[in-house]
Amino acid sequence: LIPTGYFKESRDMSHSGRNDLSICGTLHSVDQYLNIKLTDISVTDPEKYPHMLSAKNCFIRGSVVRYVQLPADEVYIQLLQDAVRKEALQQKQ
Amino acid sequence: MSFLKSFPPPGPSEGLLRQQPDTEAVLNGKGLGTGTLYIAESRLSWLDGSGLGFSLEYPTISLHALSRDRSDCLGEHLYVMVNAKFEEESKESVADEEEEDSDDDVEPITEFRFVPSDKSALEAMFTAMCECQALHPDPEDEDSDDYDEEEYDVEAHDGMEVDTTPTVAGQFEDADVDH
Repeated sequence: LIPTGYFKESRDMSHSGRNDLSICGTLHSVDQYLNIKLTDISVTDPEKYPHMLSAKNCFIRGSVVRYVQLPADEVYIQLLQDAVRKEALQQKQ
Repeated sequence: MSFLKSFPPPGPSEGLLRQQPDTEAVLNGKGLGTGTLYIAESRLSWLDGSGLGFSLEYPTISLHALSRDRSDCLGEHLYVMVNAKFEEESKESVADEEEEDSDDDVEPITEFRFVPSDKSALEAMFTAMCECQALHPDPEDEDSDDYDEEEYDVEAHDGMEVDTTPTVAGQFEDADVDH
């Protein structure tokens, strides 16, 4: 289950790669490997990666993402729960 | 630069998507000169005028980004973050590395920046890299099997879509055995 349909208008998503780089931005798209494209990005730790300060759009390899943080009010929680329940039932059959 | 080596420029057999001449390569802030960037399906390569260069494997590329800040000293460029170490300088830094090698938990990160003289090419370079990256998923990511769709564009969808792939009931069950 890839809950990409449940983002209303994603803003302020944070990503954390294995070297603890956090990137905040607007979710543009996601593919089946969870490769993520963000636009209007800002790096939350610019001292560590100063060269990324001027970057605007980025493509992040799915395998290096440790977690994705979404603002709770941007996600349709109810819909997400329903879909997950449905998926779990299907897999049991 | 000890890691620079000579190799033939990638061609159609490597799935060359884009070739960008007159592109400066910068490694962790150090300029490597001007050359040609080859964005191929097999790997990302850069070769300078004398035929020396390097290649980057897509699985090691953590992220790439477009930098549009003209006030940046390099101007607009393509930023590539690689999960690998590249030898840069002389023996002095090797000695330093030995001392710092106790940091086994910290993964090596190298920052490359590719600065084409033709700034209008940046968008296409970025897109070509996205396409190539998508061709090299980690082999471990096998559990995302039923999701066969292409890139999911968040803005193109109005939001609430439930996508459940129908499965045939009992398709994973063992066949009946007649006793």
